[in-house]
Amino acid sequence: MLVLSRKIGEEIKIGNLITVTILGYDRGVVRLGIQAPRDIQVHRKEIYDKIVTLNKISSQTEVDKFKNVVNKNNLNLNIKKK
Amino acid sequence: MDSENNVITINTHQFGEITIDIANIFLFPNGLLGFEELKKFILISDEETEPFKWLISVEEPSIGFPIISPFYIDFDYNIGKEIDLENNVLFVVVTLQDENKNISANLKAPIILNLQKMTGEQFLIPFEKYSTSHIISHSE
Repeated sequence: MLVLSRKIGEEIKIGNLITVTILGYDRGVVRLGIQAPRDIQVHRKEIYDKIVTLNKISSQTEVDKFKNVVNKNNLNLNIKKK
Repeated sequence: MDSENNVITINTHQFGEITIDIANIFLFPNGLLGFEELKKFILISDEETEPFKWLISVEEPSIGFPIISPFYIDFDYNIGKEIDLENNVLFVVVTLQDENKNISANLKAPIILNLQKMTGEQFLIPFEKYSTSHIISHSE
């Protein structure tokens, strides 16, 4: 891993298109400003990981078990008003 | 494979063999989160699980996601960026929870399908409002 030391207000360039700015530091929290092209999604890693995990579980859904839940339980969905 | 009629048959995990028209395939340039290598998906409706639908990988048909329109869950659902709802439809991925007793919806990372371009993406909403595991509760 590349390790860089930066002061507040200084920047890091990743490739030609991404710039990370160190905005501030307060009580153990670093604030970063990230400029990147629209097609590059920037995520907090723990949220990204959570979504990957949910996607993996969802991708293996057994259709019979799913039907069971849909049929057995009257799910609280906005159907009537639609 | 019957390329003359522009249809292909895939063997899906959820629905067995199905034949699809290649014109109905959505191209996901970035895949889905955790499935970046999968670019082609098809939207399947199954009467028995309506209003849920299924997004199934054409390249890896053992992969299929139950999804639902977020508006069934929240009338005011808003992803915070402007999309033209005439050509785009929104879905959220759902997951069986609590030993298959409940269903949760990932309102944080909707899937946007562009019906005109036949493209799709999973968009991560950058602000804090929505949960990754919103339980769709039982009425009663």
